[in-house]
Amino acid sequence: MKKTVLSGFGFPAGLVAGVIGITVLVPIPFGYINLILLALFGSILYVTRTWHDRAFYLVCAGEPLVIGCGAVNLWAGLFIVWMLAGIVCPAMGIPVSASEKNFFLLFCCATFFIAMIIQASNHVLIPLIILCAGTALILTLKAVRDYQLKKQYSGESI
Amino acid sequence: MKRCAQGLCLVVILIISSAFILDKMAMLLAGGTLLAGLLGQYLLFDHRFKQIVTSLEVHRSLERTQVRKGTTLRIATTVSVTVPPHVIAKISEILPVHAALQDGEITVVAEPALSVQSYQINYRITPLVHGKMHFSGIALEVQNAFFSDQIDLSIDPFSGPDLIVQPVGLFDPASKRSTLETMEIEKMTAINGYGIRALREYYTGDDMRHIDWKVSAKFNKLFVREYTGLVNRPPLIIADLPWRDTPHSKEDLSRMVTAVAGMAEHTLRSYPFGTVLLISGPNILHIIREEKDLQQCMSALREWMHPVERTVHLYHLRDRADLRAKIRHLDNQDPQAGDGGISAFSLSMKKHYLSVLQHMKAPAFSGQIARTISSLEIDECYIFSTGCGDLSHIRQIVRMAKTMKIRIHLRMPDLRMYTIDPAGSGHISADTVEAFL
Repeated sequence: MKKTVLSGFGFPAGLVAGVIGITVLVPIPFGYINLILLALFGSILYVTRTWHDRAFYLVCAGEPLVIGCGAVNLWAGLFIVWMLAGIVCPAMGIPVSASEKNFFLLFCCATFFIAMIIQASNHVLIPLIILCAGTALILTLKAVRDYQLKKQYSGESI
Repeated sequence: MKRCAQGLCLVVILIISSAFILDKMAMLLAGGTLLAGLLGQYLLFDHRFKQIVTSLEVHRSLERTQVRKGTTLRIATTVSVTVPPHVIAKISEILPVHAALQDGEITVVAEPALSVQSYQINYRITPLVHGKMHFSGIALEVQNAFFSDQIDLSIDPFSGPDLIVQPVGLFDPASKRSTLETMEIEKMTAINGYGIRALREYYTGDDMRHIDWKVSAKFNKLFVREYTGLVNRPPLIIADLPWRDTPHSKEDLSRMVTAVAGMAEHTLRSYPFGTVLLISGPNILHIIREEKDLQQCMSALREWMHPVERTVHLYHLRDRADLRAKIRHLDNQDPQAGDGGISAFSLSMKKHYLSVLQHMKAPAFSGQIARTISSLEIDECYIFSTGCGDLSHIRQIVRMAKTMKIRIHLRMPDLRMYTIDPAGSGHISADTVEAFL
């Protein structure tokens, strides 16, 4: 049996602590909305516990929470993203186990880098252009590699 | 990309568009991180897909490398693959273009495993055209909860070998036909029957009890009777399987399968061995020759008894004897009995029949059946058929068996099929005709 990094209730507990902490520490008008969104996420986590495609519903329910907490503090929003990823990965059949924690850490690094770019910018436009350019570059490289793979294994006439 | 991933892409686009319109950094963070997660998943899936492709090994073996068109051929393919966790790989054989799948599965699902796993794909195909037939490889489809991708692996280690399909003529050369009608089938056996098959002159040593005194008195010479032989040979069972494309009653087919299995079992219990010939129209599929083991016979029947693809058709081919009978019937008609129109029609029909008869050749199926039956020592034959579609091939078998003095018993699901001939091309002159039980 693989040993999980934060097995069981580790990530949900981190998520609850993070949301309550940011609500208490940084008081803002309508701050209770984050608590309502947390309750919504919790109920969806419970309702979809037997569904095979629950990852989609968890992501959809978690994104408003990320936006809510991110609006209070960007780094708090990033923390919620990490906790959310830790909850969603096992739902997708990818346990955050010792052997596969590298992928999780890589995701954390990439999102930290994105948060740094957003933090350094005053407006959405420049980080959005960087995001789109990065995505386009990755998809282009992927398309070239796909072509090479098909040429190698399917022959010349593809 | 599967529906779940498409939904997430839509969520990313919505959040990022909203972030751009509202100029909200928090929304951009939510959309950007989700995009990063989705891209990461995609790259991880792609990495696993390549791992599977590079680990694949295929070994394909054919039952024979040269076959005649319409012959069913068994193919065995061994696929070795390592499937990483969280993905499922579907591996399918890409069949040659002009080959019909007779039975078997051509797809295997490989589950995740730590070591190399081997899977066996066994199936049978029937080549529909002659020439060189190339096995072009395998198709691989990999999927997880979010993504799916597929690739046709057609390069050398995955494709081949070549199958050479020899052509089969629809008609036999005319010169071979003459030998079929001169076969001597009445033979002397250890046990005499009651019928007299010949009379001959008495030779010293012959049994005095066999002298025919009446004939001897008539010709003033001693004649002895030669009695027919009594033989105890198992009957030949012919199962005529329906064409896959013809609408047929599943109930009738099921009854036929039961009847054939029952007959085969009875034969194997009553005789030392049994022979079952499996045909589908004018296509000889398989022969279970002189089988002694009941279980093996039943497993072979289970393997074959289902609707199959037909490569050759007789298209309600008329028999020469039927045509001659039609001409005789037209000749015997009284020209004064009908009006002028009917006589002209009869004359044109007669001309048509004569012209067809002149250019008619024996179908290759007749020759194949003659060769098959003559290689077996049989006195009677049971034909089981669902009776749907063209029955010309049964007429050919019956005619061929009659020339060899073999008794034919026809078994059909319904006797109306025997009496009502849609083609109107003559009566099947079987010795007995019965419906399935």
